[in-house]
Amino acid sequence: MPAEAKHSMKTKLLLAISILGVCFILIQFVRPNIDNPPVKADFEAPAEVKNIITRACYDCHSNQTNLRWYDKVQPVYWKVAHHIKDGRKVLNFSDWKSMPIADQKGKLWESVNQIIQGAMPLNSYTMVHTEAKVSPADLVVLKNYLSSMVHSKPADTAKTNALDKQYKKWQNAQPAQTHLPTEPNGIAYIPDYKNWQVLSTSERFDNGTMRVIFGNDVAIKAVKEHHINPWPNGTIFAKVAWDQLQDTAGNVKTGAFKQVEFMIKDDQKYASTKGWGFARFKTPKMVPYAAGNALFANECVNCHRPMRNNDFVFTMPVKH
Amino acid sequence: MKKLIYILLAVIVVTSSACDRNKVKNAGELNTKASLPASLNFTSLGYKVITSSINKKLGTMATLYGNKQALADAITGNGGTKPGEEFALITWKQQDDERWYGAKIPGELQSIERVKTGAEGVVDYKCFDGKDIVPHADTLHNAERTKYILSQQASVMP
Repeated sequence: MPAEAKHSMKTKLLLAISILGVCFILIQFVRPNIDNPPVKADFEAPAEVKNIITRACYDCHSNQTNLRWYDKVQPVYWKVAHHIKDGRKVLNFSDWKSMPIADQKGKLWESVNQIIQGAMPLNSYTMVHTEAKVSPADLVVLKNYLSSMVHSKPADTAKTNALDKQYKKWQNAQPAQTHLPTEPNGIAYIPDYKNWQVLSTSERFDNGTMRVIFGNDVAIKAVKEHHINPWPNGTIFAKVAWDQLQDTAGNVKTGAFKQVEFMIKDDQKYASTKGWGFARFKTPKMVPYAAGNALFANECVNCHRPMRNNDFVFTMPVKH
Repeated sequence: MKKLIYILLAVIVVTSSACDRNKVKNAGELNTKASLPASLNFTSLGYKVITSSINKKLGTMATLYGNKQALADAITGNGGTKPGEEFALITWKQQDDERWYGAKIPGELQSIERVKTGAEGVVDYKCFDGKDIVPHADTLHNAERTKYILSQQASVMP
């Protein structure tokens, strides 16, 4: 390369670097606002549990965000602000006690499961904030705390009565309603699920329910052919949950019907929710869960996110 | 300069690939441990779910299936039976759900019990053990098991 060309190349490079440098300085003045609103109903737990949760989650999931100087350098700061905004929306430990007790329990199990599966805290966050990493020893502490919340005991009369009441109504019910309840995303109750084949069952000792997971013909064929990652379009799952009704000998039968949840695969139609349409209908009245809860679709996807390399599906099918 | 860019690129590639901890280990797999033997061809029977149960002491879980008549009778719940009812009670050892701390799912297949009702109150009971569906030798509990299966109430499924 002639000396002259080399010289002009150097000038150009210097110019580019200076422009970038000026831009870098300028963007420092464009700053998103991250405030810490008052903490009204903070999460409470034994100190060793609270410490782990605070360390691993509070920067993005509470009103006690603790930003370090390197978080505040642009353009990183934009990303940080975005994460905090989203994080607080999904789960805010500062508002913890404003949730019903059952929801608090559910959220805690979900949070620990997100940690176990490595979905949370985010890798991009722990890479810089290494102190937020949850060690295997920390996980033992969290799991033990959750286990201590499980009380397996014979059902009380309230649970038995709830089933009896439901059962009598259901026994005499007229089949096939004409107007089936529908979720805001357009998914209507599918009464035919009970005629489908079974994919699996599960005992949920975290919330005292038991479940049967049904699959439609497309799903069953996919299992037979072992093409389930991803599941084919047209796949539908129905997950039915009942109360556990335990007797004194430890035998558990299904109690009152709690809900049925559907997942419908259509990678075009439901592209915004990872290719799945989610729906949940509660009680025999089939009350759509998302009615009046616009965040429902995100709630489903967020909880299913740890399964992202498994097409967002938790159930491991049993070939029948 | 070029060298520096290469090093930077290498660092980015290495860190971004190494840090994806969130991967389900058994992604795309079937629960083979719990799966029924293909020779049984269970789905072809077209049975429907009647109910499911758990035994916390034994750590087992079971699903009761039946044909249309069996289901109808289990919904009525009057304890009586009519001819032509077919039931299948499938029992598994439980295993921890690796994908959800707080759940248990079917593990090793334990037994398949089948009950068929015939004319004039004749009831046929058969039990098969394990993955190889070996006929159960001990017939001591046949009457008790038959009674148990026929007395199951259907789960509420609106």
